[in-house]
Amino acid sequence: MGNSKKIVLAEDNSVLSLLLKFRLEKEGYELLIAIDGKQAIELIEEHKPELILTDIMMPFVSGLEVISHVRNKLNLQTPIIVFSSAGQEEIVLKAFDLGATDFMSKPLSPHELVIRVKRLLI
Amino acid sequence: MNENVYILENLKQSSPIIQLAWCLSGIFFVIITMLIMYLKYLRNHLRENEKIETKYQEEYETHLITYLYAGNDDDTLSLEQQSIINELKTCIVDPFKRKIVVSTLLKLRNEISGEIAESIDKLYIELGLLSYSLAKLRNKKWDIIAIGIRELTQFKVKGVHKVVMNNINHPKKEVRKEMQLYLIHLFSFKGLNFLNVLETSLSEWDQIQLLEVLQVANNTEIADIRPWLKSSNDSVVIFSLKLAKVYNQFEAKEELIELLDSKSENVRVNTIAALSHLNIIEAKNILKTNFAERSHEEQIAFLKMMENVYESSDKAFLLEHMQHKNFEIKLLVMEILKNINFEEYPFYESEFQKSLIA
Repeated sequence: MGNSKKIVLAEDNSVLSLLLKFRLEKEGYELLIAIDGKQAIELIEEHKPELILTDIMMPFVSGLEVISHVRNKLNLQTPIIVFSSAGQEEIVLKAFDLGATDFMSKPLSPHELVIRVKRLLI
Repeated sequence: MNENVYILENLKQSSPIIQLAWCLSGIFFVIITMLIMYLKYLRNHLRENEKIETKYQEEYETHLITYLYAGNDDDTLSLEQQSIINELKTCIVDPFKRKIVVSTLLKLRNEISGEIAESIDKLYIELGLLSYSLAKLRNKKWDIIAIGIRELTQFKVKGVHKVVMNNINHPKKEVRKEMQLYLIHLFSFKGLNFLNVLETSLSEWDQIQLLEVLQVANNTEIADIRPWLKSSNDSVVIFSLKLAKVYNQFEAKEELIELLDSKSENVRVNTIAALSHLNIIEAKNILKTNFAERSHEEQIAFLKMMENVYESSDKAFLLEHMQHKNFEIKLLVMEILKNINFEEYPFYESEFQKSLIA
C-alpha cells in the first residue's frame, strides 16, 4: 500500500464513493474520499495525489472550484476526471476551460472508469 | 401571597373588557407553551429518526457493496451474497427499513451503468421487493401508485408492463406521466404504442420529457408515427408532429398534408411548422391557395415556412399581402421580399412606411 498511487475522490453520494473506493483499491490504488469540495481541497493539499476524481455538483465547494483551486492556486498539473450528469454539458465545457483532463457522464460504468484511471496513471 | 390576592381583587374590580383580555392572554399563553413543547418533541423525534435512518443506510450501503463484489465467476450467487440476501430479506419486512433499503439501492442504481447496475436490478428481484412495488400499484392512493411505477422504471422491470399499462387513462396526470415514462424508458419507441389508446391529454411538459427520454435511449429503430397523426386526441397529434420534426419523418408526408385541414387550429399551426422543417414544398402551394381563409397564427407559420422555400414567382403573392392588417405578417412579407429582390426592396419599404403612418 505504501507505494500505491493516491487518488482523491470527491463525491457526495456515499454509496457511489464506497463502490468506487472498493473497485479502485482492488486495482491497487489508495483512495482518499471527500464528501464535498471543501474536504477534497484539504485532502489534495495534504496528500498531493496522483489523480483527482470529482463530481461537479457538490455541497459547499463545487467540482469547478476544486479544479480552479488545483490549477490556479496550487499550480498542480495533476490529472482531473470530472463526473457530470445529463444536462450539464455547458458546465463540462467550463471544467475543461479550467483545466479538467477528462470527463465521464453519469450513470457511469466503474469498469470504464478503471480503464481511464489506468490510462492516466501509466 | 398578599400581592397575589391584591392582583386578583384588582382584576375582579376591573372592567369586563380588561378581564376578557387577561383571560384570552392566559389561554394563548397555555396554547403557545403546549405548541412549543410539541414542536420540541417533534424536532427531537425527527432527529432521532434521521439518526436511525443514517445508521441503517450505512449498514445497507456496506451490505450492497459487499454483495456486488462477492459474486462467483459463473454468475451464480456466492454464499456471502446469499447470506446478505437473507439478512436484507428479514429487514424489508419492516416498512421503515424497506424504504431505506430501496432508497440505498436507488442511490447507487441511478449513478452507475453496466454490469453492476444489472446486479442491483437482480438484487431487487432476489429480495422480493418487486412484490411490494406491485402492491403499490393496487393501492387506492394515486401517489403510492406513482411511486410504485417509478420504482419499476428505475429497476428496469420489463415483465410487468401489462399491469402498469392498466393506468393508461388514470384520472391523475402524475400516474399517467409515470406510466408513460416507464414505457419509454424500458421499451423506447415500442413503448409509444400507448398513444394508440390514450384518451387524456398529453401536456407540453409530458411531451418534452418523453422526447428527452427517447433521445437518451438513442434507438435507431423509429416507430411509424402515421397512425398517431390520425388520432382523435389532438395532443397525440401534436406530439407526433414533434416526433416527425425530431426524427425527420418524410414518410408521413401525405398524412401531414392532410392535417392542414384539421379542425384544431393548434394542430394546423404545428403541422405547418413540421412541414416547414421537413421542407415539403407541396404544402407551400396548398397554403398559398387558401392563405386568406387561414387564421393569423397559421398565416404567420406559413410565412415563416416561406422564408426558407421562397421563389421569385412568389413575389405577386407577397405583394398582395404587403398591406396586411397584422403587423407581424406585414413584417414577414417584407423580409421575404427583401430576400427575393434586394434592389427593389427600398421601394417596398417606403410603401410599408406609408402603410404604417396611415
